[in-house]
Amino acid sequence: MIPFLLYLAAGVVTGFHVYTLLMLAVLGAPVNPLELVSLLGSLGLLVAAYWSVFNPHAAARLALVAALAMWCFYGPALAHAITRL
Amino acid sequence: MILPYLATALLVLVTAYSAVASFRQPRKSSAPTWIFPNGTKRSVQVGAGICTLALLLGVALWLTIDARHSIRRSSRFFIPEGYVGWVRIEFQVNGAPALPVEGGEYLFKVPPSGLLRTSSPEEFGWAKDHFFYYSEKGTRILQETGPGGGGLIWGKINGEESGSQGKRKYEEFFVGTEQQFRQQAMGDQTVGSGAPQTPAK
Repeated sequence: MIPFLLYLAAGVVTGFHVYTLLMLAVLGAPVNPLELVSLLGSLGLLVAAYWSVFNPHAAARLALVAALAMWCFYGPALAHAITRL
Repeated sequence: MILPYLATALLVLVTAYSAVASFRQPRKSSAPTWIFPNGTKRSVQVGAGICTLALLLGVALWLTIDARHSIRRSSRFFIPEGYVGWVRIEFQVNGAPALPVEGGEYLFKVPPSGLLRTSSPEEFGWAKDHFFYYSEKGTRILQETGPGGGGLIWGKINGEESGSQGKRKYEEFFVGTEQQFRQQAMGDQTVGSGAPQTPAK
């Protein structure tokens, strides 16, 4: 149950976060392609959550790939946020 | 503002957990733990089903609430015939008249100055608005199109500014041809002969 809840919570929260950022495009903000990669990663985490119920080990590998894809966006964003402090 | 921090924290947790779970070599004799489960129990499947149901219900509720807030009453804007320039509508102005409603639509009768003040609050959400030139002879519709479509309504913006009377919400849009709109956007104030004076922004 732990991997399921963890992947599900992370997938939902990060997906919603990136979705809100993508919605800023309505106001004219440019869309960063890495946001789309991150959104795909969130989807991967949701798939991994349900897969973990049947095959935890394979789901963990999928979750790792999805998480690494999401770091493509969160990594530079985090670095940028830290340097601005 | 907590969302980015929560997302990052969860992502760190997932990365660490999935990396350990992916590359860990469990001993054959060791029993699966609750942190790293090996098989599937019936209770886990039921729990996953309940979580999914709760998630779907939450999303449905969110979409329903969001849809209710995203619709507003349509508006009809009546602008003096021949007016070219910015129109500004200021909302929640003390002492100003409320907006009349006709046929379920708000009526905005813009004076020749281009500045209309009302005590009514501004509504947000999706709606189809209509624009008209009015004169003693009657009204004629003003088309609102995209670039190159020959429309006469451009640059709609909503904003809020602070002043001596507190915060004030306003809406602005430009009435004129696309070329006139672009000219004034570049700082050229000659928006056409005989145009009434545009309101101070």
